[in-house]
Formats: sequence, structure tokens, C-alpha cells
Amino acid sequence: MNIEDLVYNAAGWLSGEEDGEGMVVSCRARLARNLAAWPFAPKTSLDDQEKIIEQVLSTAQKCHHMRDAAFFQMNTLQTNQRQLLVERHLISPALAKSKGQRGVLFNADESLSVMINEEDHLRLQAILPGLQTHAAWQQVDALDDALNSELEWAQSERWGFLTACPTNTGTGLRISVLIHLPALVLTEDMERVVRGLARMAFAVRGFYGEGTNAVGNLFQISNQVTMGVPEEEIVEEISEVTQQIMGHEKEAQAALLADAPAQVEDKVWRAYGILRHARVLSGQEFMNLLSAVRLGCSLGMIDGLPLGFINQLMIITQPSHLQAESREDLSPADRDVRRAELVRQRWAEQGESP
Amino acid sequence: MKCGVCAKREAVVAYTHIVDDVKQTLLLCHECAKEKNIEVQVAPAEQTKDAPVLVKEIKIELAKLAGAEGDGGARCPTCGMSYEEFKKVGRLGCPHCYDAFSSQLERLLKRIHGDNRHRGKGPLKAVQSAPVPDELERLRAELAQAVAEEAFEEAAQLRDRIRVLEGK
Repeated sequence: MNIEDLVYNAAGWLSGEEDGEGMVVSCRARLARNLAAWPFAPKTSLDDQEKIIEQVLSTAQKCHHMRDAAFFQMNTLQTNQRQLLVERHLISPALAKSKGQRGVLFNADESLSVMINEEDHLRLQAILPGLQTHAAWQQVDALDDALNSELEWAQSERWGFLTACPTNTGTGLRISVLIHLPALVLTEDMERVVRGLARMAFAVRGFYGEGTNAVGNLFQISNQVTMGVPEEEIVEEISEVTQQIMGHEKEAQAALLADAPAQVEDKVWRAYGILRHARVLSGQEFMNLLSAVRLGCSLGMIDGLPLGFINQLMIITQPSHLQAESREDLSPADRDVRRAELVRQRWAEQGESP
Repeated sequence: MKCGVCAKREAVVAYTHIVDDVKQTLLLCHECAKEKNIEVQVAPAEQTKDAPVLVKEIKIELAKLAGAEGDGGARCPTCGMSYEEFKKVGRLGCPHCYDAFSSQLERLLKRIHGDNRHRGKGPLKAVQSAPVPDELERLRAELAQAVAEEAFEEAAQLRDRIRVLEGK
């Protein structure tokens, strides 16, 4: 498979299903695993890393979850190609930057992936549309079992799965939910929510995970604790907390609508108009406008615009996607023009004009 | 009494270590003890009079049990990482580091996660070395408790039993 072709691939997690009243884009379950026989990834030699990749790939080929999977080795990819994988949430920004023998394996709809030789030897990920934390956990759990039938994990009875960083020791499980919270940001209540979540040991991060800013009012909420709480309970807690936040967002939306209905409606439709007709769109501006349109959809102001379409648009307009799609080097200024063009084009194809 | 290292400041701690079967006791000031990575918890003045050296000795023993020895800390026998190095980079070197630094990690995990016992998915294939026996765990907890309560005789007994169990 040519990596640029990913641009035309509709990743399952962007489908807009199970969207939790239009707020939850996707959810993810990630497991950190290490092979017992090797030093942890930061201490491995190039030779070790190569052997680890070989072992993982030969095992993965045999499990049915990964039979149709594609594998990409980082040191064979250009910077832009790596960034494309980051934008698709298939690898972490850290893996994209790293040197040495590292790679990623993922299946056709990109719902299951395995990063090899990131901070841990393996990072298994299941990513699904909407609030399906339980299903995501089950999928990653099954993949874990399948791989573990041949690969021996580093683990101990009292401490569970052993990871390079003690913040992941135990279950090695991180569940995260990508959620759109425009009203909480607008009413300036988001800070309070973040503080509340931190007290309950949940982390709030930006769109691309660790160390990234919140763009387009999108937040990732995830558990911090991986020790002492069984997997099913972590899944349950995240799911509950997400529903509570959805409740807060609903209240904030209702308050906004009660206070200034015309202004809210204006914000939504103004954004809609700009997206459909602009000739130059920066990434930041685009994400903010798309957030307003998404809000319009969840408030029922805009009818007949599928969330799957909005989600797709959000990914294909990311810088490395634009680059890969146009198959030439674009300057940031060119990119902003191409972004606006692509949005108009896709919107016309969508044939949506209320 | 002056410190045995700098010979300037007042010694506040007695550090006993065994080199080639010879027991040596060093009296150290706060600063020099810190340099040697020895935890000094200064007791209030009257306690210092009542229970002088033993408390400190036991506290040093405790620190040693926790691996914080004067030579820069324990090393993982498999990958050679020291605890000091781990503290700098934040990543352990190999699965066996968990055994090598078990008492420090026991506390660290508790601080990070609020718990230091795994609950959840068990091994399909368990690979790690044998877990530290619960008996040793229990004795260490009792020792800490005894020291906190200044039950020194009991503490000394507990310390000896821990040594036996550890095969020292």
C-alpha cells in the first residue's frame, strides 16, 4: 500500500456513529506491553529493535485481527508521511520524531493498530467512533490475548504489566474519549471542568494527545491511574465521567441559547457561510469554524449534515493530508488556499444546502 | 562531636556500614550525609537525648533496605541502570529494574496511582521472577511502624529477621 493512499481511506473512527448527542467524536483504548526478554525500548540497540519488530510482525500475521494489516517502518518514511500517520491518530507525535527501528502496524479500517518500539515495545490501540469505550476495550483486549499467545509479556503478579514508565504500570490501559465541548469553552466553564477532572485523576489533553493544545474545542479525556483498578472499572469510570461532562456541556448549551439565541445562531451560520465560500483558510480558523458548524448540528440548527462528513473534513484538511493529497510540496500559504478549495469541493459533493 | 567527613559541622547521624566484614561507623553532619544519599530525619531535641544513635541507625538501615546506599544507589543487575539514573530519565531500563528497585517503586507507584497492587488482567503466560514474599513485606511495614512508635527493641528484632529473610 502506498502511504499517500491513506488520504482516501475512510477510517472507521470518523464515521460519526454512536456520537453521544453529537459531542463524542471517538474513543480509544490503548495497552502498553513489553516483551519479557528484552530491555525496555529506550535501552534497546538497533539490533534489538529489529528483532523485536520481526517477532511482533511474525506473530501479528497469524492473528486474524491483523491479517490485512499494513506495516510502515519509520526510518523509511519522510517527515510528511510520518506526520500523516500522526494526523490519522495511528502513531504518537513521539514516534514520528524518534530515530531507530520503529514502526506501526494497522488494519484496513484503522480501528486496530500496534506501535512497535515507541516508549514500550508495543502500544496496542483500538479506536472506534463515538462513545464505545467498552467495545474499544474488548477489541484491544482480544488483540492483546492473540499476541500474548506467542509473545511473552513482562509482567509480575503484584504489579501487573511492567512498562518503561511507572505511570503505565499495572493494566497499561489508557482509555480516552475525544469530545467536542464548545459551549463549556464559550461560557468559560472548561477550566473548572478540567480542574474537577484532575482531582478525579483524569487528564484532559488536546486533539493530538500528550503535549498538544485544544484546537476546535476538541478535548481528549483519559484515565491517569493504571494500577489497582481493574480494566473494566477504568472503562466504566471513563464512560461515566464522559456522560457527566456531556451533561455539563448540554447545560452550557442551553444557557447560551437562553441568553443569546440570535448570537448563537449567527455564529453557527456565519461559520457555515465562511466554510462554504472562503478562498483562504488557515488550519486554526478552519477548526474553529468547523467547531461552530458541529455545534449547529448538535443543537439541531443545521439539518442533514452528517457528523461523519464533518469528521472526515477535519482530518483531510490537516497539513500533511493536504500535502499528500496534492502530491507536491505546499508552502503554508499554498496549503491555506488548498484547504479552502478542498472544503468547498467536498461540501459541494456532499450536496448539502439547507 | 564533629562530622567524620568534613570535620567542621556538628555530626547529627551515625552511619554504620560493613566493608569486607569490618563494621565501620561514621558520624556525619547533615550536609555530608545528604551527599552520601543518607536520609536524615532530625528528631526533636528531647528524643535525640533519649534514643540517640539507635533511631538513626535504624533509619539508615531503612534507607538501605530501600536501596538508597551511599554509593549512588542500587543498580539493576540485568541492565545496569541505577535508581539515580532512572530518576533523571523517568524510564526504567528493563523489566528486572522492577525487582532491583522494588522498595522505591513500591512507594513511587503508590504516589502515582494511589495504589501499588495490580488488579485486573492476569497473565496468560507469567514470565517475571518470583514475587517478593508477603512475609518480607509485612516485616518491613512492621519495622517502619515500630520505628515510628519508637519501639526500638522490637525494631531491632524486626530488622534482624528481615536480614535473615533477605539472606544477608
